Amino acid sequence: MAEEQKPAEAAEAPAPSGPASPILKRLVDGFGDKILSTHEFRGDATAIVDRGALIDVCKLLRDDPELAFDFLMDVTAVDYIGRVPRFEVVYHFYSLAKNHRVRIKVPLEEGDPKIPSVASLWPSADWLERETWDMYGVKFEGHPNLKRIYLYEEFEGHPLRKDYPKEKRQPLIGPGAVHKIPENDDLTI
Amino acid sequence: MAVGVIKIDRVSLKKAGGFMGINAMLKGLTVTGRHFFKNLFGWIVGKPQVFTVMFPEQDIAKPPSFRGMPVLVQMDSGKERCVACGLCEWACPVDCIHIEPGETEDAIERYPKVFDIDMGRCMYCGLCEEACPEEAIVMSSRIEIAAFTRAGTIWHKTDLLTPVDELPRRLDYVRRGYQR
Amino acid sequence: MADDPKNGSAAEQDALDLDFETMELKVGPSHPATHGTVRIQLKLDGERIVWSEVEVGYLHRGFEKECESGLYYQAFPYTDRLNYVSPMINNVGYALAVEKLFGVEVPPRCQYLRTIASEVSRMSDHFTCLGACALELGAFTAFLYGVEARELVWDIHDEMCGARVTCNYVRIGGISADVGPEFKAFVDEKLAQIAKLRKDFEDLLLSNPIFIERMENTGLLPKEQLIALGVTGPLLRAAGVPYDVRRAQPYLVYDKIDWDVPIGERGDNMDRFLIRINELNQSTRIIQQCVEQLPDGPVDLNDPHVRLAGKGRVYNKMEELIAQFKLVTEGPKPPVGEVYQAVEGGNGELGFYVVSDGSGSPYKLRARSPSFSNTAALTPMIQGQMLADVIPTFDMINMIGGECDR
Repeated sequence: MAEEQKPAEAAEAPAPSGPASPILKRLVDGFGDKILSTHEFRGDATAIVDRGALIDVCKLLRDDPELAFDFLMDVTAVDYIGRVPRFEVVYHFYSLAKNHRVRIKVPLEEGDPKIPSVASLWPSADWLERETWDMYGVKFEGHPNLKRIYLYEEFEGHPLRKDYPKEKRQPLIGPGAVHKIPENDDLTI
Repeated sequence: MAVGVIKIDRVSLKKAGGFMGINAMLKGLTVTGRHFFKNLFGWIVGKPQVFTVMFPEQDIAKPPSFRGMPVLVQMDSGKERCVACGLCEWACPVDCIHIEPGETEDAIERYPKVFDIDMGRCMYCGLCEEACPEEAIVMSSRIEIAAFTRAGTIWHKTDLLTPVDELPRRLDYVRRGYQR
Repeated sequence: MADDPKNGSAAEQDALDLDFETMELKVGPSHPATHGTVRIQLKLDGERIVWSEVEVGYLHRGFEKECESGLYYQAFPYTDRLNYVSPMINNVGYALAVEKLFGVEVPPRCQYLRTIASEVSRMSDHFTCLGACALELGAFTAFLYGVEARELVWDIHDEMCGARVTCNYVRIGGISADVGPEFKAFVDEKLAQIAKLRKDFEDLLLSNPIFIERMENTGLLPKEQLIALGVTGPLLRAAGVPYDVRRAQPYLVYDKIDWDVPIGERGDNMDRFLIRINELNQSTRIIQQCVEQLPDGPVDLNDPHVRLAGKGRVYNKMEELIAQFKLVTEGPKPPVGEVYQAVEGGNGELGFYVVSDGSGSPYKLRARSPSFSNTAALTPMIQGQMLADVIPTFDMINMIGGECDR
C-alpha cells in the first residue's frame, strides 16, 4: 500500500549526468544534498527540497537572474497517508521573464508538520498558506496571520487529510446550537 | 499566424461624453429608445422581440442536444430496454440511481425490478447516458421535476419509462456519435 | 487610528480640530453591491478606508475532497461548478491536466472544438462581469443588454453540449458530442447578435461621464505588487504585463490562430473594464477563425483505456463492451506521477495539479483558482481609497465564489 502511494519516486528516472532541466541543475549545483531528489515527469521540473533549505532555495529562485521566479502560483499539500514522511507541501513557481515553471516539494513528518513561511518573499503565499493550514493542518512558521480561511475557527480537524472521513459531520456552533449529531438524519431519505 | 499585443485605447473615452455629458445622454436615449420601439413594434404586430419568455405558458426552444432529466426507454412491447447491468449506477457521481435487478423467462432475461432516480440529487450531467451499453437510459427534454415532499423527488421505474417514439430527437442525436 | 501613517498629514490636521474615531463597517456576506458571497470588513475614517479584511469561504463545498473520492471522469461535473460563469474552461483545463498525465493528445477537431468552447465560456464570463459591474454602479439597462448577450452565448453552449451552465462537455480524451454541420451558421448568427448587443453595451457605458469617473484611477496597484500577489488575468494585463497563458505557453490551437493580447497602461478599473471589452472582441475573432478552420475527422481518442468507444462499436463488439465496463467501473488509470497544467481562465491562470497513484481516481486534485489570488489583492487595492471605490474594484476583481472557495 505504501509503495503505491509514492508517485514522485516511482516516476523519477535519475540520469547519470543529473537533471536535464537547467533550473534543476542550478538547484542541485547550489544546494547539493539539500535537494533530496529531482524528476521531470511529463516535462514538469520538480525538486524535492529539505525543509531546512526551503527559504534559501526560494531566495535563489526569486533573486537569481537565470531563474527569476517572480510568481508563486500555488501552495498546497499532499497527504500520503501511510508513508514516511506523510505530508508534502507543494509550491508551483512561474517566471514571467523566462516563461518557465518549477515545482518545489518539501516532505514533512506526521508528528511535526511545520514549515517556514515564504509569505515574506511572495505576498501571494499569505492566503495560499492559510488555505493549506486550513485544509491539511500544516503550520507555516513566521506567517503573519495564520488562521483558517475557508472554515470557521471551531471546525475540528483538517478536511483534506486522507484520514478525515468524507461524510463526517461537524457539531453545530453558535447560539442555540445543539451539540450532537441527530441520529435520525432527515436529510437523507 | 501570430499572437500580438495591443494597447487599449483610452483617448477616445475622454471626449466621448461631450460637453457636460450631452453626448452620453443622447447616445443612451438612442440606444434604449431603439430597443423600446423595436419591442413595442414587435408587440403590436404580434411578433415579440423581447428576450424574456413567459415560461410556463410559453415553452423555450430546446436544441436536440438538450439534457433534461434521464428517462428509461420503453420498447414497443412495453418492456424497458434496461438489462440492469448497473453501469449508470457506477457512473453517477452523486449516486442518485438505485437498481435492483431481476430475471424473467423472456428473450431478454434481465430486467430492473426497481429502478429509482432521486431527482433531488440528479445534476443532469448525462454520464449515465454515456455509460449505458444498451441505449436504455437517455436524457429527455423533460425538466419539470418539482415535488411537494422529499419522497416525491424519487422517480420510480413506472414514472421513468418513456416510449421510444417520444424520444426521437434525442435518440437521433445520440446515434450521431455511434461511429466515432 | 488617528495616528495611522496612511492617513497623511491632511488627516492629522483634521484630527486637531475634530475628535473622530474610525467606524467599522461590515459589507456582506450577502450584500447587493458585492459580486459574490464574501464578507469585507472595513474600518473607515470618514469615507476613507484605513483597514480592511476580506473573508472568503462561504461557498466552500470541498471540491477537492469530492473529486478525490470519485473516479477521474466523475470530476467533470464538479469542475463545471468551479467558475460557474465559464464552466467549459474548467472542463478543458482538467481534461488537459489528466491527458498530460496520460501523455496523450486529442485529435485536431477536438482541439478546435475545445478552443471554441473555452472562448465561448470566456465571453460568458466577461459579459457577466461587465454587466454586473454596470448593475452595481447603477446602470441597470446596460446590465440587461450584457445578460441578454450572455444568454446568446449560452445558446452556443446549449447547442454544443445540451446545457447552459452545467456543461459537462469535455471528456478525458475527447468531448461528449460532436457538433453538426449546421454549427458554423448557428455560431455566426449568434456572434452577429452578440456583437450588436456589445455595441449597445459599450455605447451606454463608455461615454457616460459618471461611469468613467467612478472607474478611473480607482483600485490602482503597481504591476510589481500585482505580480508579487500572484494576480493574473485581465487585472495583470490592465497594468501592462502581457501575461496570458494562451500566449506564453500555448495549449490547444491558440498558436495557430490570429489574435491579440490587449494590455492597459495604468492598471486602474477603467483599464480592466476596457481589457475585458477588448477580450470579448478577441474571443469573437478566435471563435470565428476556429469555426472557419474546423477540420474534419474524429473528436475522440481511439484508446479504450482513456476514452469510451463509440456506441456503435460498444453494441456490436465484445472488446469494446468489456472496455466500456472496465472504464466506467474502474475509471481510466493513468500512470503514477504528478502534473500541473495551466490554462487561461476567465479571470487568470487556472491550474490543475493532479497526483496519480495509478488507480482510477485522482489521489490529489488541486485547482489553482485565479479568483482566490485575485481576491487576496483586494485589501491593498482599496487601502486608502474611498468607500464607494470598493464596489468597482471588487467588480473588476470578479471574484467567483465557486472558484475562489472551491
